[in-house]
Formats: sequence, C-alpha cells, structure tokens
Amino acid sequence: MTALFIKDKEFHDFVAALVGATPVYAPVAKRSLFAFERLVSADALRLDYDVTILPPKKLFFPPAQELLKFTGGKFTASVHPEEKVLFGVHFYDVKAIDQTDQLFAEKNYDVNYMAHRQATTIVASNIQKVSRRAFFGTVGQEVHPKGHDAYLTKIGTGYVFETFTPKGEALTKHGNFEPATDTQRAEVVKVNAAVLEQCPEKLTHKSAEIATKVRQAFKNEELWRECAVDCFSCGTCNTVCPTCYCFDVQDTWNVDQKSGSRTRYWDACLTESFATISAGGGHVENFREERGERFRHRIMRKASYLNPKLGGPACVGCGRCSSQCTADIADPVRIINKIMAL
Amino acid sequence: MNHQCHWTEIENIFMPREATIVRTATPTPMEKHFTLKMADGKPMTFEPGQIVEASLFGYGEIPLGFASSPTRENTFDLVVRTVGRVSSAVNKLEKGQSIFIRGPLGKGFDLNKLRGKDVLIVAGGIGLCPTRSLIQYIMDRRTEFKRFVLFYGTRDPKQQLFLEDLVAWRASKDVEYFETVDKGDPSWKGNVGVITTLFPKVQITPETRVVICGPPVMFRFVIRELDKLGIKRENIFVDLERRMKCAVGKCGHCQINDKYVCVDGPVFAFSDIQGLEEAI
Amino acid sequence: MSKPKVAFFDFASCEGCQIEFTNYGDKAFLELLNHVDVVEFREAMSETTTEPIDIALIEGSFTREADRARLEDIRRRAKIVIAYGQCAATGGINALKNHQNDYLPCVYGKDAGMPHLASQKALPIDAAIKVDYKAFGCPMNKYEVLQIISHLVHGKEPVIPDYPVCVECKRRETVCRFAEGDHCMGQVARAGCDAPCPAAGIPCEACRGFVDHPNIPALKKVLVERAGFSKARAESKANMFTANQLELKP
Repeated sequence: MTALFIKDKEFHDFVAALVGATPVYAPVAKRSLFAFERLVSADALRLDYDVTILPPKKLFFPPAQELLKFTGGKFTASVHPEEKVLFGVHFYDVKAIDQTDQLFAEKNYDVNYMAHRQATTIVASNIQKVSRRAFFGTVGQEVHPKGHDAYLTKIGTGYVFETFTPKGEALTKHGNFEPATDTQRAEVVKVNAAVLEQCPEKLTHKSAEIATKVRQAFKNEELWRECAVDCFSCGTCNTVCPTCYCFDVQDTWNVDQKSGSRTRYWDACLTESFATISAGGGHVENFREERGERFRHRIMRKASYLNPKLGGPACVGCGRCSSQCTADIADPVRIINKIMAL
Repeated sequence: MNHQCHWTEIENIFMPREATIVRTATPTPMEKHFTLKMADGKPMTFEPGQIVEASLFGYGEIPLGFASSPTRENTFDLVVRTVGRVSSAVNKLEKGQSIFIRGPLGKGFDLNKLRGKDVLIVAGGIGLCPTRSLIQYIMDRRTEFKRFVLFYGTRDPKQQLFLEDLVAWRASKDVEYFETVDKGDPSWKGNVGVITTLFPKVQITPETRVVICGPPVMFRFVIRELDKLGIKRENIFVDLERRMKCAVGKCGHCQINDKYVCVDGPVFAFSDIQGLEEAI
Repeated sequence: MSKPKVAFFDFASCEGCQIEFTNYGDKAFLELLNHVDVVEFREAMSETTTEPIDIALIEGSFTREADRARLEDIRRRAKIVIAYGQCAATGGINALKNHQNDYLPCVYGKDAGMPHLASQKALPIDAAIKVDYKAFGCPMNKYEVLQIISHLVHGKEPVIPDYPVCVECKRRETVCRFAEGDHCMGQVARAGCDAPCPAAGIPCEACRGFVDHPNIPALKKVLVERAGFSKARAESKANMFTANQLELKP
C-alpha cells in the first residue's frame, strides 16, 4: 500500500488522462441529483456528490443483463466484460460491493456478475457531502470497507491517493503524484472519521442487538401491517439498494422469430407477485401475499438474515431507500429504532 | 477483491445442457412424463430429491424435481404439469426433441438417514413426482431399508399419476401402499378423505423416518399427525416448492426467511426449518 | 401457429395505436410481415375480410350498444382477441366522460343539459366480449406489442407486467418527479412502457392503467402531502386513464 498526494490543479489532468486511457465511470450530475455514468470529460466529475440515484452495482449487475443468446437449439453465453475504472465510490457503496462480491461468488459462482466485477478497478473517494437521509455512521460499524483498489481523500489543496492493489497502483502513472506526508496521511484519517459523525439519521443500537431483536419481531403482525399501509409495492427500496440483487429471468425472441435471448432483470421482493407460483388451472400460490409480509422480508434481509454470512447487516446506510420511497415508509432507521424501543 | 479465481476458469452456471427425449407418456390431461438422456451421452448423476432447471429457448426455465431414481441408469425422468408458459411449451414436445437442462441442483434426500430405518413417504398430488425418485430408489435397493410405507393422496381419481406404478405398488410386497382421494367418483372404490385419513389404517412406529411432499397446506396437517405418533422432527424430511428463477441461490425468489430452497433444499429436515415462520 | 392472420379493428378511439404499428421502421416492419399475415388494417391497406382470423387487434372503447354486434362478430371469427391500446383495455381517456359532472358545465355552460350530450359510458371492450390479452398504453408500446405477437406466434402466453412504473424508472435511473417537487402516478401505474415520460421530466399519468392491486389511498396521500395537491385534485388525478378501473373492478 502506498499513499500519494496530488494537487488540485493536477488532479484535473490526472482524471483527464484516465478518461483518455480507459473507460471511467464516475458520479456526474443528473438533473438535480447524481448518477454513476461514463465520464466523458474530467469537468463532468462531481466528487462533491452526496449520493447517486442508483448504486454502482449496475455496472456489474445491470438492470437488464443478457445471460445467453439462442438461435433454434444453439446457444452462446453473453459474458463480455469491459475493462474499466469505477471512480469516486463512497465507502458505504464499497462495503455493499464487497457484499455482493461475496454473495455472487459463494456456492454457485455467478460468472455474469464476476466477469464485470473483475474487469473493474475501483477507486473509492471520501464523502464530501452527506446526503439528507444517510446513516452510514451507525450501521454495521464492525464491517469495514474492502475490495477497492484505491482510496481518494480530498484534503486542503489536493487529494491523497492511497493504493491497495497493483490495479490501484497502476493508475498512478496517469498523474503527477508525490509521496504523501505524515501530516497529509493524518488528515485523511481525520476527514474520513469526521464524516461518520455527520449523518442526519442514527441507529440507536449495535448490529448484533438489532439482528436479534428485529428477528424476534417477526410475529408482530400488527407492526408490519402498519409499517406497510402506505406501501405501493413498487420495489423502489429494493432496486435502489446497493445490497439488493434479486432478479427475474425472461426469454424473448428477436423479430426474426428464430433467434432471441435469455435476460435477467432486476426484480424486487416488495412487488406483489415476487413469490407467486402457478398452481395450475389458473390458481396461484403467493407465499408473501400481504404488503406487510413483503415489507418485513426486506427489513429482515437487511438487518438480520444475512448477518451470519456477511459478518454484519446487509445494509450500509446509504439512505437511498429512505429518500426515494415516495410514501417515505422505507427508512430502515425509523423501523429499526422503533422495534428497538418496543 | 477477495475472490481470487478468475471468472474464465469457472463454468457458467446459467448455461444449460441439451437432453433428448427418449420416451413420453401422458398420465393425466394436465401432466406429461418425459424420459430423457443427455445429448452428450454423459450420465446424469443426482440424488433423489434434487432438482433441475428445464428450459426451452424463447419460453424460459422451470424448476423440476427428478421423477426417477439414479439407480435407473442412463436416463432420467421428469414430470411436467401444465401450469404456465414454459410447462405448456415443454408438454407439446415429443420423442426425439430436446429439453435444455441445468443441474442437478440443490440438496436431495440424505439417504444415510433413511437407510436401515422404517420409511414412510407421504405424497400429495404432484408431490409424487419428486418423491418417485426416492420410491424407485428404495424399491431398487429394498434390502437397504426396513419397512416401507407409502401414502398417496390426490384431489380426485383422475389426478393420479404414474398409473402403472400404482398398479405395481398395490400388488407389491415391497411397499405398504395406501391411497386416498379428497373426492371420489363412481368408479373409485378406495378411501375418500384427505391424506391424514390414512394414518389410522397402519401402525407407524415412532422411529420411522418420514418424507413429505405435497401442496403447502398438506404439510401442517401431516406434521400434526406425526407429532401425535411421537416422531422426532429431525426424522421428518420435507420437500418444498417455491418460485425459482435461477435455482443456484442468487435470484432470491425461493427465499424462506434466511434459507434458499434451491440451494439449502428443496429437501429439509423439518427440525432445521420448524423455526422459520415462512416455511410451512 | 403458422403465419397467423392478423386484423385490426377500431371503435371509439383516435386510431393512434394503429398508426403506431406502422412506426417500427421499414426493416423490422417488413421482417414482421414475414411472420404474420395482415389481412385487415385500414391505416395501411384497403382490403378487408369477413373470414376467420387468428389474432384480432381491437382498438377503441365500447361506447355504443350498437357496437356490440360488431364486437361479437369479431370475437366469433378470431381465435385470439387483443384489446389493443388503452381505450380498448380499460376505456382509456374516453372514460373521462364517465364522470361528466367534472366538465359538462365547464365546457358547455348553459347548454350542459342538451340531450345529445348524454351518452353511454365508455367501457373497455371486455364489457362486451371476452378478451384474451390486453396491450395497455396510450398509445400502446409498440415493442411490447411486438413481443406479444412474437409470443403468440410461438404459442406462448404473453408476459404483461403487473409491477408499477417505478420499477422501470429505477432501471433507467430516472430522477423521480417527487425529487423535483413534482407529482407522479408511477407508483400505481402498470409498467411495460419503459417509463419514457418521467425520463423526459413529465409525470406518469398512468396511461396503461393501474397495476392489479393499486394502493389508491396511499397515492392520494402522497399527492396531497408531497405534491401539494388539494384533496379534490388528488381524487380526480387518479381518475384520468383509470376511471373504469376504480369503478368497475372486475
């Protein structure tokens, strides 16, 4: 691991050189919000973003990902990863990527995700502006971000660029870096620690206590029903979540009616028919028929079910679900704190 | 990142293999029974209770349990009930055509827990398909197991599957076979009533290992009977059905609390899932 | 089905959905004609047919009792009937007249009581005949219709989404209308259109109607609390393309 420093005015050239050398995906303005998009120029980069609409999972696990193409009975896999740099990822999203890395790799290794993931060099960046529903300061504190190749922190008149892997190291050739001083390195620690205190929302308890008590609240039907009264079953809380990765698979034909493709699409456990099976004769069996049951499943999955596997909650405190739920009922902080206060 | 193996070194779990239909039968108007052989000539190695994803390009994939025993070499059976888009398309196929298969997937029956024991299988409706794999296995290696009792219930006599098997089981000394229908018809001479009405007809010892597969509602009632008989819950094995899209533990549809039916099951020891509120 | 015979018919509508069918571009349209035989389509040909057909695409709503016989005749001749576009699927924008107290005095002033203004409700065609599938939307989504036809050519039941437009907005990473102080009905509107309106900065008007079980009380609440609508406007907003779905839950 090395820590380097680059001055503000040279940082622009570094980003421009990167963009010239390789596809770079980074936060850019999208109307009044932000999104990770292909960076066309260094000027478009917005490291002062608070949070993006969608998490960067979309680069490894796109909203629609073709699994195979077929023509009659012949078929070929559709894995064509693009070597790229994912630039400016906040630490909560780094944690989430690390979780999806684990979940897609475990047991049955998912080539479709892993190929894109392995073709990506991740440069994380410190949080310059905290989003209005963030709670990353108090969620899963025992889980530390890992899996990124470099970490960029804005301090004073420039950026400290820490590298953790050869892939991260390789990027430094594009910029005029100098070794970081001890003072600068100390500043990095200070800046990244300070932001944890700035979240507008806070969980009142530690992950392990939450995992136990939330799980015990499973049978509190009244609670879950009430939480979900205004739920639209629209799945926004799922689709914008950096640790949600459920999908549907559909086959379609091309207009020639002979060839076509099998594609997976983001799915959401909050939508009504997510757990429905056909039982024949037009009958269906929906294993989570009520809104409250679906709402509960998400909270359980974020706060409890996956903890043993991940070493902490499957929630990183980005606040995307809270801010994007139009009925404003999805906020995990509100629900979890409510359960912890029961 | 932590996962060091490179993706190019690993088989793509979403790529199916071609299987050729060598025989078909139509036990009921709703079901079709396929006997298949892998097109590359390789044997299909599986355990009773495991599943496959069967697909037709353009139509999609569906999860199905093996309906034959691995002791019947070279071929394997699938029974498809016409319920949706894929099953409707598959059930139009005939001998010589292909079905595309991913699998075997999931966990089947732990045969070591059944060997040397009395075994009771309770199958309701289409639940006979995945258990037929185990039934055939037991019949083929009958000496490895002690007493073998089979309960089979369907909505009405027309819903019965594997009619040739039923004839053989009724006559066989290797299995104590009991059957029932929820609703009889003039031709039906047997028991009428839900599957639990079969319990008083036979002595089941508390040491019996029990396998249950059927519609969701059936599990609860059968387990209530087994509790009365004093059968330990770790000796009860349930074969569950859920919506599945990937069957490899990723897509999330089959999740029951923190378990994935497709990789942790579909066969579970009841003691492992009795604490899961969403299980049965 | 080998090269199915496809025919278009229209009732109370603007025929925009039929026009939309000609907008695939030459290549895709000509390729499609290799797989279906269009036997009646008054937007593009003068021939008509009284013969049996495989797929009837019926545009427009059922607004006159006199139309019933023609609908029944099409049903008798067609193997598959598709309610083509929102007017046919739910009554669509025509159903606005079903709650005509809203506008009669406003539009016609003192003449609002004239007898010819009283007409039958605008209803979906399944109020008159059995419909097999619905191609929702105003206009219908031509790519979805292509998939529906493609599925039917292969004997597969079409896949029609029952999730809301929010799902598609998120897949496209559209800035939510509510994030910009606007309103939207995408939370209750049936998806399948790929959510072009919010992506262009326009609220979803639910032109494909509602999902099967829309949370209408929550919609009204959100329109009042977040979009600043009056209660009355929130009520009427939820009626634009969907009056019949609220009144005539099948």
